[in-house]
Amino acid sequence: METVAFWILLLAFLGAFAAQVARRVQLIAAAPATISIENPAARASRFIVDVLLQARTIRERPLAGLMHALVFWGFVAFGLYTTTEFLRGLGIVDLTHTGWFRAYRLLLTPFAIGVLAGILFLLVRRTILRPVGLGTKVSVESVVIALFIATLMITFLLTFRLDEASPAGRVNWWVHAVVILVFMALIPASKHLHLVLSPVTVFLKSPELGNLPNLDFEKEQVGLETVKDLGSKSVLDAFTCVECGRCQVNCPAWGAGKELNPKAIILQTQEALLAGQRERKLGEVYSEKVLWQCTTCGACENQCPVGIEHLPILIGSRRGLVSNGDAPDYLGAMYNNLERRSNIWGLGYDQRTKFIQSAGLEIFDAAKHDVLVWLGCAGSFDADFQKSLRSLFSILRTKDVKFGVLAKERCNGDPAKRTGNEYMYQELANGNIDDLKAAAPKTILTSCPHCVKTIGDDYRKFGYQVDIVHSSVYVEQLLRSAAAASGSRDVVTYHDPCYLGRYGGKVDEPRALLERFGAEIKEPQRNRDNPYCCGAGGGLLFADKEEEPGSRISDVRFKQLQATGANTVVTACPFCSIMLKGAQASAGADTQFVDLMTFVDGKLTKA
Amino acid sequence: MILVIAEQRDGRLNRATWETIAGAQQLAGQTGAPIAVLVPGANAGVAAKELAAAQVKEILTLEHAALEPYTPDGYTAALQAAIAELSPAHVLLPHTYQTRDFAPKLAARLDRALVTDVTGVKAAGSDAAFVRPMFQGKLTADVVPLGPAPHFVTFQIGAYRADQAARGQSPAPVRALSVNVDAGAIRERPEAPFQQARQAVDLSQAERIVSVGRGIKEQANIAVAQQLAEALGAEIAASRPICDAGWLPMERQVGSSGQTVAPKLYLALGISGAIQHLVGMKGANTVVAINKDPDAPIFEIADYGIVGDLFEIVPAIIEAVKK
Repeated sequence: METVAFWILLLAFLGAFAAQVARRVQLIAAAPATISIENPAARASRFIVDVLLQARTIRERPLAGLMHALVFWGFVAFGLYTTTEFLRGLGIVDLTHTGWFRAYRLLLTPFAIGVLAGILFLLVRRTILRPVGLGTKVSVESVVIALFIATLMITFLLTFRLDEASPAGRVNWWVHAVVILVFMALIPASKHLHLVLSPVTVFLKSPELGNLPNLDFEKEQVGLETVKDLGSKSVLDAFTCVECGRCQVNCPAWGAGKELNPKAIILQTQEALLAGQRERKLGEVYSEKVLWQCTTCGACENQCPVGIEHLPILIGSRRGLVSNGDAPDYLGAMYNNLERRSNIWGLGYDQRTKFIQSAGLEIFDAAKHDVLVWLGCAGSFDADFQKSLRSLFSILRTKDVKFGVLAKERCNGDPAKRTGNEYMYQELANGNIDDLKAAAPKTILTSCPHCVKTIGDDYRKFGYQVDIVHSSVYVEQLLRSAAAASGSRDVVTYHDPCYLGRYGGKVDEPRALLERFGAEIKEPQRNRDNPYCCGAGGGLLFADKEEEPGSRISDVRFKQLQATGANTVVTACPFCSIMLKGAQASAGADTQFVDLMTFVDGKLTKA
Repeated sequence: MILVIAEQRDGRLNRATWETIAGAQQLAGQTGAPIAVLVPGANAGVAAKELAAAQVKEILTLEHAALEPYTPDGYTAALQAAIAELSPAHVLLPHTYQTRDFAPKLAARLDRALVTDVTGVKAAGSDAAFVRPMFQGKLTADVVPLGPAPHFVTFQIGAYRADQAARGQSPAPVRALSVNVDAGAIRERPEAPFQQARQAVDLSQAERIVSVGRGIKEQANIAVAQQLAEALGAEIAASRPICDAGWLPMERQVGSSGQTVAPKLYLALGISGAIQHLVGMKGANTVVAINKDPDAPIFEIADYGIVGDLFEIVPAIIEAVKK
């Protein structure tokens, strides 16, 4: 009797689960294929760290993360228990009286207590503490699920007290079983689908942050225009979102009071997909204005614990807009500059030549030089940043490094790529690749983190591979044995550039250099591989204030740096420097800025 | 014959027409050809009367339904017919937006050479050579158009001065020209013209600009810069921090996130010269920078640099200008 009832219930709920999941699987299958398992080793290691060890869940929110880990580990531990009990309930095989099962049950007890503690903490957090990232409304369904999980653990613990065959024991067994079945049916339409999908999504997440495959113009690819253009990984992402809001609270645009909220982007995607709005324009689903507020700093994607990639959606949609001529005016001006003069400023290359002459630089010759120094748009034209390059040259000369520069450079294409102007990016990139192949440097050295990322990572997609290293990393190695001038320690704060710290993971080298040369670093909030963006990325260096609601991202970051109490800010990216100096001037503060290379050069004891 | 195509709307002449007449007179000086000025469009008579003052052989008016409102198809068809009747050796036009719209089509329709954005006329043997900028104005080229006449030439605005055009002793005769145009050839149906809402302050047209930066120290000191601007007949502008602070309105901001300007004189007071400001004023003819910091990047691009306290220097300049 009980067996038949359980069969019927199981099939009914399993059916409800499967039907809902099938709908989502169909949507994933119908989307253009973007799922890749390239570089399985990196993916497997991410799976171990982020899924099994729950590192990304714990890292940012240690207490809540640990509580979540307790629940997760408990779920995994209970897998075999549920299976065994279900097999018995279905009358297939009864293994519950075996010795190993009794031992296993005992071993589960601490897990059950862990899950109970974890879920009750998370319930209190969600209903009473209510952190901003979870949204303004308390999710009823999450409360129900939390109570379900608590019930499961309590009913499990009760099995130690109740006689299984007694009426109380039977009721207890059934409550446990039915809760699991109802839970299962509730999963697909809720954020709890992440239980099923996130291990897959984490494995499928690109090992490269902000991975944007090149558009193939031969195949008439123009970027994402409508919902049906979203790739299969993005569709999977939309259904995996657990709505934790890490992307939201780490987004510099959201933090500065703008409308962009990466979590909303993912949920709007989900909503549009489920509503079957295949033809709806993405500029409408997300709002065009919001799409242009992203600095491409990568915080959302990097902090996501369930493997969601926001940047392919954000930049992919920008590509679609640019292809239809819908870029904001300030980008039009910048694109003109890139098209006519191959640099973002629209300045004439005679100025770069003048700098090369006045700094006494040689034109690179692979037979003569150890490294090729890539100047970049800032190094070629910005007199302010050229000071820091002169410091770099001085350090290189002190250590007798032979270096040269290209006679001509184009912009690496980063501002075009991250604003969705793929055609212009590819034109610039291909031109540079031809020149770099001809020059054939073994190592490229640059002080611009955007050049490191684009030339190092993005050019690989054209089959061009080169060792490009940021000056902080190169000089740190170069000066391992160098003695710093002695003297008092300078109190400084260091602003990690997103493209160096987050994309490049180079957080220790700049700090090692600073400390070696007499700095005491006051860390700002949001540092190392999760810095708060300066506001320059993604073409926003050129944005007009009128078009920006909320405060400037650069102003918010400058205040964070000021709050360290250090009066000197060390930067390692020309664009961070431009933005933060602008914020400093607007604030009328007397904070000093110094580029990392200038700081080191000033302290270096020269023979 | 040299044919100048005037530009007018409802009898109001575009001043650039006079500049083109000045160019035509220089060309006539070389080739000895007579000049005729063709005035197309409704109310051509009003503009023709004004143009009759020029030292030219005759003024021709061309009124036709196909010319109102302006369409590139209508202009091309009507002018093609007029050119067939007049068979000029050169057709000269001011390099206006309207010319840029139809002239290439007209030249292509007749399969004749078109030299655009010309700044001067030179003799090249027995031919005339037309001077035009290349590579963003980095080089100039002398272009001799080849092939059968007429050759089309458009003159850059401002390349000649309107008052350079010689006036005749008596008004030139005005004659009405009529042409046949197939109305079915006009494929455009323009809506009524409208002016896009402009920024209240259009710094891009300013000849002189006095621009202030953070070195002005406080809002009250803007008055000093204002006085200098008044003395020079200049517009006042600022770098970003000044506008951020609200000391001057946002529309007076120069730079990558503000306006792009190209005045003849740009006076930078206490502006350090961050790159995003420099790119907004790189087109300035003459840059004068006053800054306390001798290492300020603004001095890299300034034609004249004064290292010193702007509160001493600016009053002295105001006084000198007033004398």
